[in-house]
Amino acid sequence: MAVKVLILEDNPVARAFLCRVVRESFSDVITLVEAGDLEGARKQVALAGGASGMHGTDPFKLVLVDLELPDGNGMDLLSELSHYPATKIVTTLYSDDDHLFPALQRGADGYLLKEDRFEVLVEELQKIVRGQPPLSPAIARRLLTHFRSGADGEPAAQGTGLSSAAFATSKPVPLADKPLDHERLTPRESEVLTYLSKGFTIKEIANLMGIKWFTVNDHIKSIYKKLNVSSRAEAAVLASKQGLV
Amino acid sequence: MRSAGSEPPLDEGAWDRRARSRSPSARWIGWRLRGLVLAALVGCLALFALLRALTASPALDAPLVLGDNGVLEVGGPAAPMAVVGLIDGDGRLQRLDALLLHRSARWLPGDADRAELARQHDLYGAALVAAPVRLTDGQGQVREISVRPRGAAGLGWTFWLVATLALLLYLVTMVVVMARPDPRNALYALMALAQIGNLLFLAVLWTPAPGWPPGLMRWEQTLRTLFDLATAAALVQVTNMHPRPLPGGPVRALAAWCIALGLAALVGAGLLDQAWWWTQGLLIVGALLAMAQLGWMQRRQPHPLAHQLVRLCGAMTVTLVLLTAMVAALNPRLHGQAAFIGLAVWVIVLSAMLLMLPFLSRTQRLMREFSLLAGVSTVATALDLLFVAVFSLGNFASLALALFIALALYAGARQWLLSQFVSRQRLTTERMFERVYRMAREVQLRPADVGEQWISLLRDLFEPLDAQPVARRVRNSRVVSEGASLVVPMPLLGPAPHDAIVLGLADRGRRLFTDDDARLADRMVDLVTRVVTFDQAVERARSEERVRIAQDLHDDIGARLLTLMYKAPTPEMEDYLRHTLKDLKTLTRGLAAPSHLLSHAVAEWKSDIAQRLAAADCELGWSFAYDRDFELSVVQWSALTRVLRELVSNALAHANASRVDVEASLHDGTLSLSVSDNGSGRRPETWSHGLGLGGVRKRVKQMGGSVAWSENGQRGIVCRVTVPDFGRAGGP
Repeated sequence: MAVKVLILEDNPVARAFLCRVVRESFSDVITLVEAGDLEGARKQVALAGGASGMHGTDPFKLVLVDLELPDGNGMDLLSELSHYPATKIVTTLYSDDDHLFPALQRGADGYLLKEDRFEVLVEELQKIVRGQPPLSPAIARRLLTHFRSGADGEPAAQGTGLSSAAFATSKPVPLADKPLDHERLTPRESEVLTYLSKGFTIKEIANLMGIKWFTVNDHIKSIYKKLNVSSRAEAAVLASKQGLV
Repeated sequence: MRSAGSEPPLDEGAWDRRARSRSPSARWIGWRLRGLVLAALVGCLALFALLRALTASPALDAPLVLGDNGVLEVGGPAAPMAVVGLIDGDGRLQRLDALLLHRSARWLPGDADRAELARQHDLYGAALVAAPVRLTDGQGQVREISVRPRGAAGLGWTFWLVATLALLLYLVTMVVVMARPDPRNALYALMALAQIGNLLFLAVLWTPAPGWPPGLMRWEQTLRTLFDLATAAALVQVTNMHPRPLPGGPVRALAAWCIALGLAALVGAGLLDQAWWWTQGLLIVGALLAMAQLGWMQRRQPHPLAHQLVRLCGAMTVTLVLLTAMVAALNPRLHGQAAFIGLAVWVIVLSAMLLMLPFLSRTQRLMREFSLLAGVSTVATALDLLFVAVFSLGNFASLALALFIALALYAGARQWLLSQFVSRQRLTTERMFERVYRMAREVQLRPADVGEQWISLLRDLFEPLDAQPVARRVRNSRVVSEGASLVVPMPLLGPAPHDAIVLGLADRGRRLFTDDDARLADRMVDLVTRVVTFDQAVERARSEERVRIAQDLHDDIGARLLTLMYKAPTPEMEDYLRHTLKDLKTLTRGLAAPSHLLSHAVAEWKSDIAQRLAAADCELGWSFAYDRDFELSVVQWSALTRVLRELVSNALAHANASRVDVEASLHDGTLSLSVSDNGSGRRPETWSHGLGLGGVRKRVKQMGGSVAWSENGQRGIVCRVTVPDFGRAGGP
C-alpha cells in the first residue's frame, strides 16, 4: 500500500519543489496529495478519514504544512490535527523561534526551511521522520525557561523571545500551561538542554557528558515528549512501521 | 507629650501599629468622640461663665492712667487729677499708687512689692463693690466716681484674643489626650493646662480698667507660680521619656516634681523670702535640665525630634533668661504696662508653641518664625524698658526705638536662618532633573534595578540616615512616626521588588520630615513614572516600527526571492538567490528581535555553523571567549552573523576545506576573530573581492574594525577580523 503524503503549500513552484523533496527522501511508493490552501487541506483530511484519523481507512502518514497561507495560518491546521497519527512537518520561510516553537507545541514534529538546498532538505526530512526533533539553541533556551518557570512558579523571563514582537501572519503563542509534576525535567535532561542552549552539538554533548550520541538523542526526545502530546512519538513509531523511513 | 511613639523609626511593625492607630475609623469611634465633644462643651461653658462674671463685675466710670511723672491719675470728663488714695467706708484714707496699674503679682520680684500690690488691688476691689469710689489727691480734693458694670466692651480686644487662644489650646489638648491616652500625652496635657491657667489669668487681668475681686492677686501669684513650676517639672519628666526613654528618668522626674510642688507650696503659704527669685531660678534650671536630657538622648541615638526639641527648648530658655534678667534689672513697679506686655507676649508665645507641638512635622517653619518672634519680642520689651530707664526717653519714643531695633533684628535673624536652611538644600532643581533623567535611562537599561535606583534618588533628595524597602502598598507618600520617617511608594514601573521605601531621619537625623517632603516625594514618583513611561513608549514605538518594516520586507521580498530561487536557470544563480534570501532573513531578524545577548548570539552562530559544516562533512574547531556578556546592537549582530556565514561559506564552497577553525575573543572591548581553513585557497592578495568578500569588508568597516586575509601555514587561508571598541558600543 502506498504511503499517503499531504503537502499544503500555496506557492505552486514551492509545492512542486517539496514534492520532489518528498519523493527523493523515501524509497516507498508515495501517493502525493497537494493542497493550495487550508480549505483544500481540510477537505483532503476529511476524505482520508477526518481529523482524528481513527475511522479513516487510509490516513495520511506525513503532512507538510506551510504557515502563511492565503486563507489563514497553517498553525490552525496543526491544532486541528493534534491527534492525527501522522508525522507533521512545518515548511516555512520563517526560521525564527517565535514561529517555530508554537508550531512544535501544536504538534509539529519538525520544520523545514524552504530556502535550504535540495539535498539538505532531503536529509532533514529523513531525520525528522526518524524521530530526531530539531533543537536550536534558542528553542532549547525557551524550553529551559518553560520548565524552570513551572518549577519556580515565576513568569517566563524576558528576552527568551516568548513575549517578543513577531512579524508574521501568525502570532506566536506563549507557552500555555505550567508543566505538570511528572513533566518536570530530570537533571540529565536539564543538562542536555543547557548544553544545547549554549550551541553545543549532540556529538559534543555526548563527549562532555560521557554518554552515547543515542542517549543524548533519547534525552532530547524525552524532553519533547514532556513538552507536548505523546501522540507524536507514537506517530513517529507508526511512520517507521509503515515503512516511511 | 505628644502622640508620637518612641519606637525606632524604621521598625516596620511600629509603623504598622501607627498606621492602624491613625486610621480615622479606629481613632474616632465610640467614647473618644463623645469624650471630646463633652470636653469641648465643658470648656466652652467654663469660658462663658468666666465671661459672664467678668462683664458683670464693677469698674470705675473714669479711666485710671499713669501720669507723666509716674503718678496715678484719674481721667474722665473733668481735668485729670493725681490720685494718692481712696477714702474707704470708714472715712479713712487708704493709699494707692501706680502699682495699682500693674496687673501681675507673679512677675514682681520684690516681696514687699507683691504684698503692696495685693493690698492695693484688694482695697480697690472692695471699694468698687461698695460704690461709689471716692478718690483723693491728698491735698483735700476728693472726687467721687460712680461704678458701672464692665460690660462686654469693657473687656478690651486682648481678652478675646487670649481667651480664644486658651480655648484653642484646650481643644487641641483634649484631642491629643483622647487620640491616645498615655503618660506622655498626659504630661503634655498637664503642661498645656498650666499654660491655659496662665492664659486665663492674663485674659482677666489684661482688661483695660483694674478692679477684681479681693484676694485674686494673691491667688494669681500662688497659682501662676504653681503653673510655671508644674510646667517645668513636666518638661523635665517628658524629656526623660520622649522621643526615647533615658536611663534614670523616673528618679529625676520624681525629684523635679517634689522640688517644684514643694516650692509652690512654700510660695503659696508665703513662707519663702525672695520667692520670685527661687521660682525663676528653678524654672531656668528645669529648662536647662530638659535641654541636657534631650542632648544626651540625641547623642545616644540620633532622633530628629530630639534635635528639634532641644533647639526649641534652647530658644525658650534663652527667652526666659532674658525676661527674668529684664524684670530683675528694671523694676517693673515703675514701668508696669510695658513690662506686663512683655510678659503677656511670653505667655502667649509659650502657649502657641504648645499648641503647635502636636503638629511639629507640619509646622516646623511656623515654629521657627514663632521662636524668633518670641525672642525678638522679649528683646524689644527689654530694650523699651532700658530706654525708658536709662535715657529717660518718653514712653512713645522708647517704644518706637525698641520696635525699630527689634524689627531690624528680626529681619536680620530671619534672613540668616533662611540662608542656613537654603544652603542645606543639596539638590538644585537642575541637578534634580538631571538625576531623574539618569534614573529613567538606567531603569530603561536595567528594569530590575528600579528599586535600587529609586532608593538612591531618594537618598540624594532627603539624605536620610536610613532607607529600607518594605512590602506594603501605599498610595501616597506620608510622614509617619511624627516626622521621624517618611514612607514613599515605589513608582509603578512594572514588577518591583518591593512596594514602598521607608526613609528614616531626614538630613542625617537633623530634620523632621514634613508634609512638604511628602508632597515632594509624590511629585518625584509622578515625574519618574512619567519619564520612564514616556521613554518606554518611545522605545516601543521604535521597535514596533522596526518590526513592521521587517515583516514587510520578509513577507513580500522573501516570498518573491524564494520563487525566483526555485526557478533559477543555473545552480550559480540559485546559490546567489539563496544567499540574498539568507541575508534578507538575517536583516529582518536583526530588526525584529528585541535583544541580542552576546552569549545567545554565540550559541546560535556555533549551532548554525556546526550544522552547516556537518552537512558538508567538515570538521569545526570553535572557541569564543568573552569577558562579559552584553547586548549587541542590531548592526553588530547582523554584521557578525553575516561575516561568519560568509567566511564559512567561502571555506566550504571555494576551498573545499575539511576543517574550519573559528577562534574569537572579546577582551577589554576589543573583538578579535579569526576563521581559518585547510582548504585549497592560497595567495589571498590576488583575489577579486566579489559580493562575498566585499560584503565581509563592508560589514567589518561598519563595526569600525579591520579585516585581513593571509595564508594559513602550509595549507589554507586565515582571515583575521579586529574590532576595537566593540564592547563599548552597546545599546540599541
